[in-house]
Amino acid sequence: MKISYNWLRDIVDFDLSPQELCHTLTSLGVETSVISGGVQWKGVITAKVVDRQKHPNADKLSICRVNDGNKEYEIVCGAKNVEAGQIIPLAVLGAVLPGDFVIKPAKIRGVASEGMICSEQELGLKAESDGIMVLGEDTPLGKNLEDVLGEADTILEIEITTNRGDCLSHWGVAREIAAKLQKIPNLPIIKNVKFSESNVIEIKDKDLCTRYIGCQIKGVKIGPSPKWMADRLESCGIKSINNIVDITNYVLLELGHPLHAFDSSTISGGKIIVRRANQGEKITTLDGKTHELTSNMLLIADASKPLAVAGVIGGEFSSINETTTDIFLESAVFNPGNIRKTARTLNISTDASYRYERGTSWEVAEMASWRAVNLIAELAGGRLELREDVNSPDNKKVIIQLRVERVAKILGYEIDEKTIANILRFLGIEISTKVEKVLIAEVPSYRNDIKEEIDLIEEIARVNGYENIPVVKESNSFAGAGKQNLSSNKIIKNISSGLVGLGFCEVMNYSFAEIKDLDKLFLNYSYKIANPISKENEVLRPSLLVGLMKNFNFNSGQGTNDIKIFEIGRIFDAKGERKVLGILMSGTVWQTWWKWEENKINPVFDFYFAGGVINRILPSNEFTISENRSPEKYYHPGKTAAIVYRGKPVGQFGVLRPDITENTQNEVIYAEMDIESIESEYKIKVNTYEHVAKFPSVKRDISVVSSKEVKFDKIEKVIKQVMKTGGILKDFNLFSVYESEKLGSDKISYSFRLFYRHNDKTLNDAEVNADMQSLLNKLDGDLGIKLRS
Amino acid sequence: MNRIDSILKEALDKVKTAELDTIENIRIEYLGKKGKITEILKTLSSLSIEEKKQIGSEINAAKDALNDAVESKKKEITNKLLEEKMKNEKIDVSSAFSFTFPKGHYHIISRTIEEMSDIFVSLGFDVSQGREIETDWYNFEALNIPKDHPARDTQDTFYLENSSNLLRTHTSPAQIHIMEESKPPIKVIVPGRVYRNEATDATHSAIFHQIEGLVVGEKVTFAELKGTLSLFIHRLFGQELDLRFRPSHFQFTEPSAEVDIKCVLCGGKGCRVCKGSGWLEMLGCGMVHPNVFRAVKYDPEKYTGYAFGLGVERFAMFKYGIDDMRVLYENDLRVLRQF
Repeated sequence: MKISYNWLRDIVDFDLSPQELCHTLTSLGVETSVISGGVQWKGVITAKVVDRQKHPNADKLSICRVNDGNKEYEIVCGAKNVEAGQIIPLAVLGAVLPGDFVIKPAKIRGVASEGMICSEQELGLKAESDGIMVLGEDTPLGKNLEDVLGEADTILEIEITTNRGDCLSHWGVAREIAAKLQKIPNLPIIKNVKFSESNVIEIKDKDLCTRYIGCQIKGVKIGPSPKWMADRLESCGIKSINNIVDITNYVLLELGHPLHAFDSSTISGGKIIVRRANQGEKITTLDGKTHELTSNMLLIADASKPLAVAGVIGGEFSSINETTTDIFLESAVFNPGNIRKTARTLNISTDASYRYERGTSWEVAEMASWRAVNLIAELAGGRLELREDVNSPDNKKVIIQLRVERVAKILGYEIDEKTIANILRFLGIEISTKVEKVLIAEVPSYRNDIKEEIDLIEEIARVNGYENIPVVKESNSFAGAGKQNLSSNKIIKNISSGLVGLGFCEVMNYSFAEIKDLDKLFLNYSYKIANPISKENEVLRPSLLVGLMKNFNFNSGQGTNDIKIFEIGRIFDAKGERKVLGILMSGTVWQTWWKWEENKINPVFDFYFAGGVINRILPSNEFTISENRSPEKYYHPGKTAAIVYRGKPVGQFGVLRPDITENTQNEVIYAEMDIESIESEYKIKVNTYEHVAKFPSVKRDISVVSSKEVKFDKIEKVIKQVMKTGGILKDFNLFSVYESEKLGSDKISYSFRLFYRHNDKTLNDAEVNADMQSLLNKLDGDLGIKLRS
Repeated sequence: MNRIDSILKEALDKVKTAELDTIENIRIEYLGKKGKITEILKTLSSLSIEEKKQIGSEINAAKDALNDAVESKKKEITNKLLEEKMKNEKIDVSSAFSFTFPKGHYHIISRTIEEMSDIFVSLGFDVSQGREIETDWYNFEALNIPKDHPARDTQDTFYLENSSNLLRTHTSPAQIHIMEESKPPIKVIVPGRVYRNEATDATHSAIFHQIEGLVVGEKVTFAELKGTLSLFIHRLFGQELDLRFRPSHFQFTEPSAEVDIKCVLCGGKGCRVCKGSGWLEMLGCGMVHPNVFRAVKYDPEKYTGYAFGLGVERFAMFKYGIDDMRVLYENDLRVLRQF
């Protein structure tokens, strides 16, 4: 909201500069900044335009001879409104305008200019202006502009927090200043008169309207507002319309309470009825739009038709125009939540609805009504013929007990009772005491944010200054263990550092997906967003693949061929929300290097490389890779495996279906692991120390021929059995996989190296041969695998 | 000069000029079975024991001297050869020839969360997790944000179809879960992802990350909140930055504060980054509102607490000079590899 610095000074006496005021208000919790005004220039003097000629080389420019009483200047001016005889602000050479703009000698279209005639905008007096600033005819010449302008106003922008609707006015802001400076704000004297009760107002829905004051004023003369009022409205960003409308706006800016004026002649049946709208009832509002209302919306109506949407916007039909003579002035208190709902449903936000949503005061409603009546009488004539005030008996001031010791318990430092009482009194809160160390506070209704003791403590903290609260190191009477949520973080840290060590980059994607992208990946969604702002936010991702695939396509589009990325994030599928790890890799494993080229080595990621990555990052060897019994649909069914932990599948990996990756040359491998189920199952295993054998090991290489039907897993199982029973076969590795016509198309040959070792002695050939023979026998017996000849 | 000395001198002279392939011959010539020095030994039989003793020791000394000379000469020659060999083996060490191991990178956001969490862990905080799908109760009601409250305006919410659930708009619902599931004392942070239903631009995103903090006990005060958060900010920036606690408002804390740091770019004079104010907003915080304690059935008379929430993206963008939030989620490898 825009606030006038001068207006504030009318209400509370202070001598802070606009900058100091901003600082003070911000430190009170009302963020304030200067948006325009104040003297922000140097070297601008008053001078008279003696003569104006057209610029010989430019149609839109003129050459002015300007005199400051001593000296004449030749100035090139671009403004349309410049005329001989005007007294104007002249920025002479060397002058400084807002934004550190220094006036230097310049030639404009071939003509030298010895300065600049300024507009209000250029001087920072207004946010916008049309043409140069013209000063009064009797302005003395050759004076500094700031000396003749009187008090140039400064406009401030305040930003309030949602609880402080009471600050949306000059009085409201002045109250804050007054509390901090310990002064009493002064409002204009508001006169009121006694009126006998009448019976024109009927509140049907008392839950939505707790006070309604109506004033019938007859014989007003609609016309322009006086300049001082129009100027103040304008400086706060409100257009001047006519005296009546301007007065309601002026009171709004002054006291913060919305008012509405109806043309009385449009009210039929002599009744004002405050009621919920009928479902489907229609009204054309001031903005010219016709709205269909719902039965939740509150209306101001007469006997036959709606006149206004209560607290939001007036009806077009009942509005004030030039011919209006009798008006009905409303000052009411409506239910904030209901107004907010209505404004949002109708998609209208007005100065009135903005304030009603934040809560208005039944006390200020009365003040505002009288203030407007006074101003109307003064500026538009007219007689107050009728006044009616329907006030709910529930409108009472809030009374709160404040225990002095509680202030220190919350804030951590002592403030004495006298200071506390003083702070609260200057905030307009009445303080009394009955019991020692307990204050009884009576809160004015405009402070609807103060509901209980803690709210008073905030007021004390705020006005006394947050900077005065000591900075205390935690008493450490207790502390968390500083534990990183045990296994979860540990597992994630291990895995991601493993991947980063292998050259993978971590990515982060939005949690949303588009259905059409899911279709391409054979994925189904489980959660749909009810109110997405765009298609991109349609559903929640059921897999990290959606984002990673996007990243893959984006980066390969940028010409990156080797892509190794991973993401840790939540997915949302039929099982609910869970944290998973997704890894995507494709392209060359190693960066190109002249030595690879030399040796013709250029491995590309395939299923087996991916298996190596998975094995490398899994936190223990209890995780195994095995057959994928229910592969995700996006995998190539022949090239996918499951990741198993103690018999329970915790993830899958494999090559993506070729129809997903049509446009790419290389296979794309994707892995997804359920971090949460790993986390809940996995206990960090502590390895105990094992003696390292002192005796040498014996290596043996063997090649065997197997049927292709036999999965290597089975062979591995047999080897492991022999390792267990014989006790001297310690390790093995597969170093060749070989197929050829000679072997037969259904056969495959494997070569592996076996490592034998005895913990207590050096092995001899016979012992090794015997153990190896038992392996070969078992391979033959169990799987029909023979030694290759 | 006796004969042994002159033979030794002759031999040592030969060693001086010997090459690797001839040096063993010199040893044989003098110390071999028929070597010149060995020959002298053979003549000893005619001498007295005294003489034998004396000449014998002279011969042994000469043998040792010659062996030492041969060995050191050999070493000298092999050293020289090795030096020459290595000189010839000199390679081009230009860095372009070296293999570039692929380098992995953490995402800026997770790296920042890690950095912040580490500081809190060192201050004795536990680290916990929340859920991203929440109910209205946890996200709003229990946090003292009733229906139709204007505070909901600033938190445009994504709702899920066919359910009353929503995507959390802040990490604060985790406060409620933690308090429901445990008893004070509580000292915990919860990093996580939050959602706002708004259009994405340079400074707004439908998704961003926060770190929530909650401390509850019998003697927790605003002064301690100031102490902990000041320490956190100083550790995060590695220096005693000027900071201010400014009154603000959150429905679930009272009193509430916003913590600003003196703009690091302009030193408080006002610039583009701090929008002329000289200060940068870092985080929101406050003392836990009694209504929040009531919602989790804690006695607000007995317990006090503080809570805070800080935006991860904002800090990361500021720290790494990123001027457009969308960059963080585009996942351009050329960008990711910069950090």
